[in-house]
Amino acid sequence: MRNYLKQVGTILWKDLLVEFRTRERLITMGAFVVLVAILFNYATDWVRVSPEDIASGLVWMTIMFAGLLGVGRTFHLEAEDGAFQGILLSPVPKDAIFLAKALANFVFLYIVALLVVAVFIFFFGLEVGSNFGMLTIVIGLGVLAFVALGTLFTAVSTGTRMGDTLLPVLIFPLLAPVVIYGTTATSQFFSGRPVTEAEGSIRMLAAFALMAFFLGSWLFRFVVED
Amino acid sequence: MSSKKILLTGTVLAMIGLIWLGAVYWMSFFWVSTEVTQGIAQRIMYVHVPAAWTSFLAFGLAALFSAVYLWLRDERLDRAAVSAAEGGMVFATIMLITGPLWGKIAWGTYWTWEPRLTLTLLLWFIFLGYFLVRSSTENPEKGKRHAAVVAIVGALDIPFIHLSVIWFRSLHPEPVVIKPEGPTLPGDMLTTLLMSLGAFTVLFLGLFLLRYSLENLRSELDTRSRHTSV
Amino acid sequence: MWPGTQDWGGWLTSVSVPAHPEADEKSSTNPVLRAQGLVREYGSVIAVDGIDLSLAKGEFLTIFGPNGAGKTSLLALLAGALRPSRGQVWLRGEALDFGEVEWHRRIGVLSHQTFLYGHLSAEENLRFYGQLFGLSDVDDVVRDKLQHLGLQERAASLVRDLSHGMRQRLALARALLHDPDIVLLDEPYTGLDPSAALVLQGVLSDLRDGRRTVVMVTHNLSEGVALATTVAIMNCGRFVWQGKRAELGNDFGQFYHGVIEGHG
Repeated sequence: MRNYLKQVGTILWKDLLVEFRTRERLITMGAFVVLVAILFNYATDWVRVSPEDIASGLVWMTIMFAGLLGVGRTFHLEAEDGAFQGILLSPVPKDAIFLAKALANFVFLYIVALLVVAVFIFFFGLEVGSNFGMLTIVIGLGVLAFVALGTLFTAVSTGTRMGDTLLPVLIFPLLAPVVIYGTTATSQFFSGRPVTEAEGSIRMLAAFALMAFFLGSWLFRFVVED
Repeated sequence: MSSKKILLTGTVLAMIGLIWLGAVYWMSFFWVSTEVTQGIAQRIMYVHVPAAWTSFLAFGLAALFSAVYLWLRDERLDRAAVSAAEGGMVFATIMLITGPLWGKIAWGTYWTWEPRLTLTLLLWFIFLGYFLVRSSTENPEKGKRHAAVVAIVGALDIPFIHLSVIWFRSLHPEPVVIKPEGPTLPGDMLTTLLMSLGAFTVLFLGLFLLRYSLENLRSELDTRSRHTSV
Repeated sequence: MWPGTQDWGGWLTSVSVPAHPEADEKSSTNPVLRAQGLVREYGSVIAVDGIDLSLAKGEFLTIFGPNGAGKTSLLALLAGALRPSRGQVWLRGEALDFGEVEWHRRIGVLSHQTFLYGHLSAEENLRFYGQLFGLSDVDDVVRDKLQHLGLQERAASLVRDLSHGMRQRLALARALLHDPDIVLLDEPYTGLDPSAALVLQGVLSDLRDGRRTVVMVTHNLSEGVALATTVAIMNCGRFVWQGKRAELGNDFGQFYHGVIEGHG
């Protein structure tokens, strides 16, 4: 068990270090998020709708698309000199590899998701107030669910001729529950309603994230096998 | 069961299913009484509901065969999975076409975010992914494995999608929603619906077996052409 | 050149201790690496079509063959990277299941891809793999390896900044980091400049220390034969010729082409 966690930690740390050096994914995702917010400003008639009404949906859709952008690159650097093959030829269980890759994606996407919230607060003057802590938890659970399915299906789409273009077709229908529960909870926070009203959504998000991680750890081995 | 027997069983079941379906059509056009509020359009139900049920059955079977395929790696399981998934796509498409037709006449809009309709639409896309993944790998065996993964995740995701779309509607109630089925259905309508469910199920099983035999023949052809080329 | 300083994790004692005393006798003559009826199909394409092999401790098998003969697939099967369609591989008499991670602990693989991360330094790369292999003394092993290959000066350089020859040396260090007793080499000479080839040559002859079993796939006829104790020629997924190096005549090139053309 200790060895297992050490292996997960080793791969996770390697991914973070490589990302820290290249900053490839964080920069593209971060820029994407800010630019989307700017375009949303002009795509919305602010006379007829107020930010609180639609912000939660926009926040979640932005996270989804930014996630697609970042998670789609999970195995890109790995493929450069066959390094992923090197990991597969090491005595590391495939579920440990999955967990490490998914957690690395979680770190990147969570940072970006918090940036999304910050950008929407900054640009559109949203009030989160005392619900900020809960908001970060809800978004964290949604991001966990996203990266679990995202990492698994990026491995699937990377192995096909269509590559990354296939990824949204594969994961968006599966992620419908995350969007539904996520936006509901978030819009309750944005409109200043008490946290207790979002409890059901939070529980469902947690259950979904758990299932997604279970499925990913179990099925990843069948995807990376040649 | 030998491949000849499967083919025969499939043909017989499909024939029975077709004849049975003819009887169901006769019942739904000439025998069953017309529903009071929705009028004649309500008879779409005798196609719509059984198509939905059959597509769920088919997708469930596809996921089940996929899971066992990943476990045992028997090609026949993959052939069964793809045959079931194709059947599921056909019946889901029927469901998705009849739903809006009925909806337009019954409550004036093509699309309502009715949970089962939404679930079927998402399932349709999940299995679109299944077929895309299957056909786009260099190594066909890898495509089968990847597709199996899609089917399994899709199947286990269904409860979540189902709960969430129902729950979403409870937050955003539809203006008029008429619940057509259920125990309140008058006797002759229930009989017609059950007959139709039976016809669709038998027809699906027949088509499934026919499709499965076709897939078997294809792989046999593959093996033979390989032997002659060597 | 490769001091056996690593902790073997006790697998020699814990795994291959035979249950019966008479089996002990047998295990010393048992092949280290054995495969029987190995077949690998990709859809309707058969890459490996029934390979049997049996290698004892200290043997060095070189496999030659034209492109598409199935050599790389065979190595991947032996490395546990590819699931056999049929057939079985044994390590020290132990039948191996696909996906068994212990398999990888005993095998070192070097391919023409380096398996290295360009954005990590030489030292970080080795440390990364050392930790994945669960080596107990990663720091010492990494330092030793870097020193042996003359890379200690460049230990902190990112791999992308290293010359191709240095990268190849580092890849060698990576493959042998966990001191495997079975080494699989997939066209290690591909893309090497002469000086790097010389280093590789030195390391490969050091592998013939009698302790290891080596399987190498190469297009380089002269080097391949010079290192081998056993030679196999592969075509269309099968061994079309297999024998001891001593059985070969002087002109291996001519012999090789004869075998391949005779087969075609």
